Amino acid sequence: MLIEKNEVTSKEVHDFFLERSKKYNPSLNAFVTLIEKESDIQSLPLAIKDNFCTNGIRTTASSKLLDTFVPPYNATVVQKLKNSKISIIGKNNLDAWAHGSSTETSDYGPSKNPWDITKSPGGSSGGSAAAVSAYLAPAAIGSETAGSIRQPASWTGVVGLKPTYGRVSRYGVVAMGSSFDCPGPITLTVEDAAYLLKIIAGKDEYDATSADMPVPDYQSDIKEKKKFTIGITDEYFEGVDDEVKQKTMDALKVFEKMGHTVKKIELISPKYAISVYTILQRAEVSSNLARYTGIRFGNDRSYFGDEAKKRIMLGTYTLSHGYFDAYYKTAQKVRTLIIEDFKKVFQEVDVIISPTTPITALKLGEFEKYPFFGEVMDVLNEPAAVAGIPGISIPIGLDKSNMPIGLQIMGNYFDESSVLNLANQFEKETNFFDVIKKGVEIYG
Amino acid sequence: MTKSTELSTKDIEHLAVLANLQLNEKEIEKFKEQLSKTLNYVENLHELNTSNVSVTNHTTNQKNVFFEDGKICERMFSQEEALANAKETKNKLFVAKRVKGL
Repeated sequence: MLIEKNEVTSKEVHDFFLERSKKYNPSLNAFVTLIEKESDIQSLPLAIKDNFCTNGIRTTASSKLLDTFVPPYNATVVQKLKNSKISIIGKNNLDAWAHGSSTETSDYGPSKNPWDITKSPGGSSGGSAAAVSAYLAPAAIGSETAGSIRQPASWTGVVGLKPTYGRVSRYGVVAMGSSFDCPGPITLTVEDAAYLLKIIAGKDEYDATSADMPVPDYQSDIKEKKKFTIGITDEYFEGVDDEVKQKTMDALKVFEKMGHTVKKIELISPKYAISVYTILQRAEVSSNLARYTGIRFGNDRSYFGDEAKKRIMLGTYTLSHGYFDAYYKTAQKVRTLIIEDFKKVFQEVDVIISPTTPITALKLGEFEKYPFFGEVMDVLNEPAAVAGIPGISIPIGLDKSNMPIGLQIMGNYFDESSVLNLANQFEKETNFFDVIKKGVEIYG
Repeated sequence: MTKSTELSTKDIEHLAVLANLQLNEKEIEKFKEQLSKTLNYVENLHELNTSNVSVTNHTTNQKNVFFEDGKICERMFSQEEALANAKETKNKLFVAKRVKGL
């Protein structure tokens, strides 16, 4: 879909998506800022989450604290996209500071799930996922700290890839959890995800945590005819809704029919990853948000919303004298356990499959019932985020209330090729059971 | 600070000072409850045996990455660019509050 022969001009493509975005954004609130006049229209218009700095274009991280902030530079990801002749059509809404799993903490209002606008698209990259699902943009770039790409992709029925930590530069991305944050593509096809990953991946001199690893030709890697050994574990099916479980088992049967091997494995319960993530992320957040004083840019700290304040406070506590060992250090050690656990399992299997989320999209407002504003919702995504391994979410069907169900494929460090390859095989075999097609059709 | 995971009002007030956040009474009460709940949940980490485990700082094991200072000069702000987003500037400098006690 993405790589089209030039039967239309770049301007026509750009205008097509801009018109759709202007038409549907009032009801979906997928964009905080729409870019009407792109100075040089390149070949492809993409949406990007509003926590990526875009030179000369307002970047808010969906917080009123940055309401007037205009970055004087491009994030490396943005620069790489521009160098590949991609223009930005708009900045997507997110949970403020990426703190959340529903976009409900955004100071610009929540985004809506295109499948049912009384429901959340997930988050924090909810605006990006909604934009792609409703075909307001052919693809988007989001970011994931723990679930923020995979969960909204699952809830809106599109493809979302969290690369290995360090695979993609974080320079110019509003920092949330510096040892977790991963920019990644949200797309309508696996091939598009491979195409975008190739563009944005790679070592960056301006991000010392970016990996000094060669970038494979993902687009050709995904076409290789390979058979994989797929690991599944009961731990990742606990607390999962019956319909989601059933669709996941159905998908596994498809993989088996295609000649892949499904093998039972054992992994540490994901519930420990919640604790590790909660402590480490909030500690990193408390440090990363210290720069927002209103002196050099933005408004002062009174503009922080509740969720940001809460996270800063908890982070400050776990880093403070007397508590550092009990919380922060312990969490870092359990992080090692989780990493070793995955490494051990990847000696037996190539990839690990599970549902992406335990349930399908919640109604807006229901999040209040859950204690950590979504950590429990992201339970199945947190282990991979904590370990730093890559994971992709792909749609595998719809539930009784016509909401998308997602399946995730997790892979070994820097093995996005296997993850994308297997996801691509599934797409070619089933066309995702027409989920994506139906989603786009809702918006004519 | 108290050693239990029931935070006191004084704990929250102290954290607010460290975190440079102004909180009102309602917020202090709310955070006291929410933070205590969260801390109780994460206690489950102590169920695992980490006695012989080292910490992870970077998940893909990067070690110290350096470059020569001044080697990369491609991305530099002009003074105008650097000041462009500030609410208050004076003599091409950022304006900030006086540091207390000086």
